[in-house]
Amino acid sequence: MAYWNQEFQRIHSPIVRYGFSVVSVAIAVGVALALGYYEFRDVELPVLTLAIALTTWYAGAGPSVLAVLLSSACFDYFFTEPLYSFGVSGRDLPYFFIFVVWAAIVASFSAVRRRIEDSLRQARDNLQVELEQRRHREDEIRKLNQELGKRAAELEATNKELESFAYSVSHDLRAPLRHMVGYSELLQRQASSLLDEKSQRFIQTILDSAKRMGNLIDDLLAFSRIGRAETRKTEVDLEQLVKEVVAEIRQDTKSRDIAWKIGALPVCYGDRSMLRLVIVNLVSNAVKFTRMRRPAEIEIGCVDHNKKEVEVFVRDNGAGFDMQYVDKLFGVFQRLHLPEQFEGTGIGLATVQRIIHRHGGTVRGEGAVDKGATFYFSLSKAQHAAEMTENAP
Amino acid sequence: MTILGRILIVEDDPNDVELTLTALTDYNLANEVVITRDGQQALDYLHCRGEFNTRSSGNPAVMLLDLKLPKVGGLEVLQQIKSDERLKMIPVVVLTSSHEEKDMMKSYSLGVNAYVVKPVDFHEFVNAVKELGVFWAVINEPPPGSVKK
Repeated sequence: MAYWNQEFQRIHSPIVRYGFSVVSVAIAVGVALALGYYEFRDVELPVLTLAIALTTWYAGAGPSVLAVLLSSACFDYFFTEPLYSFGVSGRDLPYFFIFVVWAAIVASFSAVRRRIEDSLRQARDNLQVELEQRRHREDEIRKLNQELGKRAAELEATNKELESFAYSVSHDLRAPLRHMVGYSELLQRQASSLLDEKSQRFIQTILDSAKRMGNLIDDLLAFSRIGRAETRKTEVDLEQLVKEVVAEIRQDTKSRDIAWKIGALPVCYGDRSMLRLVIVNLVSNAVKFTRMRRPAEIEIGCVDHNKKEVEVFVRDNGAGFDMQYVDKLFGVFQRLHLPEQFEGTGIGLATVQRIIHRHGGTVRGEGAVDKGATFYFSLSKAQHAAEMTENAP
Repeated sequence: MTILGRILIVEDDPNDVELTLTALTDYNLANEVVITRDGQQALDYLHCRGEFNTRSSGNPAVMLLDLKLPKVGGLEVLQQIKSDERLKMIPVVVLTSSHEEKDMMKSYSLGVNAYVVKPVDFHEFVNAVKELGVFWAVINEPPPGSVKK
């Protein structure tokens, strides 16, 4: 490597380059004359071509032309008959001519060689720059990776913290609630004969509130568990799942007049128990909000958008909602109805959204007050998901 | 009169103790109840040592065990009982506030006989305690060597 580096160190200043040309020819002439003086014969041609070659090599094309011209002149002047004049005798003309041609060939060979060396050097420089860039990029990637690792560790720590938070909520918050309920009940039992109607109502309110808070805590814990639980994705026959859920809900709504309509649904790819929770939430909502309808109409079906995704909907003819508040529908503990109208904590649709988002789908709702509501969720079809995994490297 | 097995309750919260006792009293199950307030005390009772060195020997017919206890935790008590030749036959029922799957899995893998989450609703709570008391102290045949009345 060091050798090459030295080779490539060329002379850049033009004065030095042309000077080099003149000096090297002068030295060659001197050496040739000196050798001639010591009776060595015919050394001028190789010595001068060597000078031309060196000039071309180290000083480039212009100086090499100068060297050819100069050495031709010197050759003519010093070494061809008549000596010490620029005239050329007829006998020496071929000899002189051969010298000029030979000098030109040497110069052009050297020039070609020099050009190749130059392009090689450039290629090497480019390579070095690229290498440098790559090293830089690698450094950057390593830095990013480190940062990512740190972020992941932070996230894990936060997750752990959250988990222990949820744990203590589930454990410690419930105990005092249970005591509130327990002692209120005992008080009710113990002092029912002594208490007037108003006091009885107060105790009942304490009881109801405590129970409600218990429900809220349970819902919140279940909701946070969805975010933490691992999804176990398999092929899920949505139609079968929906029929299962509806059959279960029908058991509890025997007294109601509900017209069910279940359309054909495809096989999807997802976590069965989570998707079940989605359908349970949406269908129970439909049942709840059609309480005042006779008959209530609940339809479950799908819109086939393309071969990748399917959009499943649950439609009812119940209380509906004002589209103005559609953004609030999927928020945690967001409710669009008064608790006296419809019970519930307001976690159902938030749970639905969270599960569908974890499956890479979207949710949306449509409705109008007293005209019913339709809730949509999208999922990848099993076939598409299978293709995706097949094509994955 | 039916034969009543002894119930050992391990519970640190005095309110929970009172509510549990109330529920048991309602169904005449409270006569043979021993209360211990932490894991250490429970183990002392089972091993007839410390403050319990004078008690007549014999295992309880059932043990109602809370998980979150001072000093020695419920899961540790459970582990010690189930790895002790003389104690491992005692039926242990975990009676806790914790819904956590983690606790449930751990308890079952340690060999718990039942896992009951304390219901927030008082009626359900009373019912749960009653059912537990009736089943384990009356219906269930405890292992030989249990204290009976």
